[in-house]
Amino acid sequence: MNPGQNDIIILMVVAPLFASIIVPIVGWRAKKLCYSLTILAVLISLFSSLITAKTVMNHGPVQYYLGGWKPPWGIEFYIDHLNAFIAVVVTFISFLGVIFSKTNVENDLPNKEGAFYSLFLLLITGLLGIVLTGDMFNLFVFLEVASLSSYALIAMGEKGAMYASFRYLLIGTVGASWYMLGVGYLYIVTGSLNMANLSELLPALYQSKTILVGFAFILFGVGIKMALFPLHAWLPDAYTYAPSAVSAMVAPLMTKVMIYVVIRVIFTVFQPEFTVDMIQATSILSWFGVLAILFGGIMALSQTDFKRMLCYIIVGEIGYIVGGVGIANATALKGAIFHILNDALMMVCLFFVAGMVMYRKKGHRISDFKGIFREMPFAAIIFTVGALAVIGVPPTGGFFSKWYLLLGGIEAKHWGFVVALLISTLINVALFARVFDKGLYVHGHGSDHSSESTDHSSGTLVQKTPLSMWIPAVIVILAILLAGIFNQAILKNIVQFAVPSGL
Amino acid sequence: MTGMFGIEYRPLSAVLLPIIVAFLILLSNKRPNLRESWTLLGSVLLFLTVSSMSPIVLAEGPIQWTWFNLLPNIDFAFNVDAFGLVFATTSSSLWILVSLYSIGYMRSLKEHAQTRYYFCFALALLGAIGIALSSNLVTMFVFYEILTLSTYPLVAHEESPEAISAGHKYLAYLLGGGVFFLIGILMTYLLVGTTDFNAHGILSPALGPASKLTLQVVFFCFLLGFAKAAWMPVHSWLPSAMIAPTPVSALLHAVAVVKAGVFGVIRIVCYIYGIDLMQELGLGLALASIAAFTIVVANLYAIGQDNLKRMLAYSTINQLSFILIAVALLSPMAVAGAMLHITFHGFMKITLFLCAGAITAISGKKAISEFKGLGRAMPITMTAFLIGAFGMFGAPPLAGFISKWHVVLGAVQSGQLVFLTIILIGSILDVVYFCPVIINTFFGKMPETETLKGDLEEKVEVYSEKVERLETKRPIYYFMIIPLAITAVFSIIFCILPNTFSIYDLVQMAVKDIFGGM
Repeated sequence: MNPGQNDIIILMVVAPLFASIIVPIVGWRAKKLCYSLTILAVLISLFSSLITAKTVMNHGPVQYYLGGWKPPWGIEFYIDHLNAFIAVVVTFISFLGVIFSKTNVENDLPNKEGAFYSLFLLLITGLLGIVLTGDMFNLFVFLEVASLSSYALIAMGEKGAMYASFRYLLIGTVGASWYMLGVGYLYIVTGSLNMANLSELLPALYQSKTILVGFAFILFGVGIKMALFPLHAWLPDAYTYAPSAVSAMVAPLMTKVMIYVVIRVIFTVFQPEFTVDMIQATSILSWFGVLAILFGGIMALSQTDFKRMLCYIIVGEIGYIVGGVGIANATALKGAIFHILNDALMMVCLFFVAGMVMYRKKGHRISDFKGIFREMPFAAIIFTVGALAVIGVPPTGGFFSKWYLLLGGIEAKHWGFVVALLISTLINVALFARVFDKGLYVHGHGSDHSSESTDHSSGTLVQKTPLSMWIPAVIVILAILLAGIFNQAILKNIVQFAVPSGL
Repeated sequence: MTGMFGIEYRPLSAVLLPIIVAFLILLSNKRPNLRESWTLLGSVLLFLTVSSMSPIVLAEGPIQWTWFNLLPNIDFAFNVDAFGLVFATTSSSLWILVSLYSIGYMRSLKEHAQTRYYFCFALALLGAIGIALSSNLVTMFVFYEILTLSTYPLVAHEESPEAISAGHKYLAYLLGGGVFFLIGILMTYLLVGTTDFNAHGILSPALGPASKLTLQVVFFCFLLGFAKAAWMPVHSWLPSAMIAPTPVSALLHAVAVVKAGVFGVIRIVCYIYGIDLMQELGLGLALASIAAFTIVVANLYAIGQDNLKRMLAYSTINQLSFILIAVALLSPMAVAGAMLHITFHGFMKITLFLCAGAITAISGKKAISEFKGLGRAMPITMTAFLIGAFGMFGAPPLAGFISKWHVVLGAVQSGQLVFLTIILIGSILDVVYFCPVIINTFFGKMPETETLKGDLEEKVEVYSEKVERLETKRPIYYFMIIPLAITAVFSIIFCILPNTFSIYDLVQMAVKDIFGGM
């Protein structure tokens, strides 16, 4: 295919990258413009990702050679159904995240608009770069872009954020280094960094110990970055203390993008013959998935902070997807890839709720939820939809990805995974019932009079939740429901082809 | 008729109506009269929509409507067949009466959060109607979960620590059951590739490839999934849920929720497994044993209760297992009896609950031992109660007689005399636990003076000769008395004319589909 034809692809990355340079400069003169510029850049990204996805759906995979240099020497962007899908998820969630960030930045980060949006855009650039690139080293570069900007963004948060961010920086850098080392091993043996090229060169070398070590290092590095149990320790602190807008975007996306990398490495760069049959890496991964699900669930139960609880739910959700990848049959993988979308949507939804409560009550502990759904009944609806999706109640999207994961688990007779999924469903019910009760029931906890009087006093004090918070939240719950109702359309048109061949 | 009001759209409009009503209720939050009008209007329209489908179904067979594709081979679809209509007609007709009753009850007691109450109530009806009309297990599962979740805030309505913990228990049992239900659906789907209900069962082709044991385990997954049927030992959520306001206990925990459970079990037994496969796997006997155990034990529990609503809860558990045992006999007459009992027990038990609620709301009493002399103070209520109680024994001329008669005949037909004995013992025990209530209310004497609780804190002089008629004291009480009188009258009408609302024809049609004849 003629490379010049697909210029729209590079726009996806270039728009936020250039905007990230322009925004702080503009921010000197006109702070208000930062927000609009950021939205514009992400909107361009979103459109370009949608057009790319359309092209991929109609004509199959597309390539873009950066600077016109042909691979394996030049860097290429290689987009097939899998990363076209993930790119749409990333741009869509980023778009909602940016809209949501307005109030948070105005209230909590005064005079930092320029820096915040610049970093925010760099983060999006990094995430999209990871998703689009077809080059192992280039992926590392984008990984560092995304990571460094997320360290800085997290550090802007409340008390404790600095420490959490520094810890994340240390652990994250170690993870990236492992990845880098692994890629180095592959490069030594094959002399290539291009994914497509590697996948042709590697099968001849599958007996080599170097390859095995390289593969293990890559997986370990990415495992840290995606917070796969037991490498998850950095995640809860980092995302709990980050500003609402940052956690609403980084938490759903960063880990999902890293799972994409795992799928890429296991099924594209290496082939299923090697990863599934020869060294059975997937089987090991699936058991880590099971542990992550159970551990995430149990830890989430013991949290008193809502955002922290969500963080442990993320640890569990990563277990779902990794488990689905590890089962390595077409059904489970379909479920896993579809769950990337659903999980991103439901996590962003719940972090939006956290952001709204934070805005209103200046805290995100579960006790801060007291009576919140009486004051904001529509927040109750948003929370309920998000919670139902996490629990996996139809017709939300969460049910359908869980359906395929369970079906795949039963097909593979991986009972550990099936049981873990079902247990985690029940744990999720308990988790959300607790928050829901706190938010809705005010009468029983004290005498009626005291609770009513507090209702009145707080009713006069609080400001209305701004539109910039409502709009993305409403869009996201619609998306959750639509992802469920039209799951067949999504699965048949794109996810089905995203499942690697040979399974 | 064509267009939006065409026959093929009726199932859809039956499901959309409660949703629309729910949101209208939410929007008219600040205007109680408007809010209650929406409920009443919605319930009447829903009943008309549902009952308008029965002549068509009786004449032309099931109405099918497919909305969209959910999963390969599974559509989000409705299939209105005779059996589904039995349950849908029961729930929707009782919703009208309970809506009226709710107005009286909630306003007399000046309950909080009434908008939430009516909103959840409408959603619960959506769940019940959806379960009745759905054409496959996945669609049913969707509505099954809606029913569970929407009733949770109703159970915890009081918001006291006990109410909230009862709510948690409720969620734990029913959503935990839902997980098993999901396993059952997944296994069915993996074994035969479809989950559509069929009058001859769909699982029989799976017997070759899958072992008997697998199918038996799957059946128990389904059974655990229908914890809503409150068979022992997964029954204990039901007595706890009695902490909910009485209209909730009446419509949801005597009709919609629990009947959705037994409805589901009948769907599984007759429409997923099929009678032949059930017999081959020996599951009929297993189910009948569980139900027999429940009947006896629940009755014994009921005898010891002093709280009227808890007693009624155990009575419900026992009657639900009566339906289960009838299905498990796997003979045409018994299955017909089971289906009839869904409607008939609904009307009789709701009468009892409405009476219990009226007693509490009007006189402030909850314990049976305090009921002395109430028969004179509240004659209409207590007469209705008497009718309901006799219906539970199965005495003519009450609806319970018809269904019990069918089941007894069915037991003879299938030659299961052990279970026949259990059914008869159950009936005798029914008499035993209702005795104290009847004796207290009609033969006991009210204490000389006493403070009436309820909404008016005042001293009332009550003499055994000149009794004050409590139930007509305030106009709002009529909202409670009239519905319970109507349901009591219907309990009698159903015996004399079992074909009211075409129930009997529908049941006959359903049984004919399953067995090929009565």
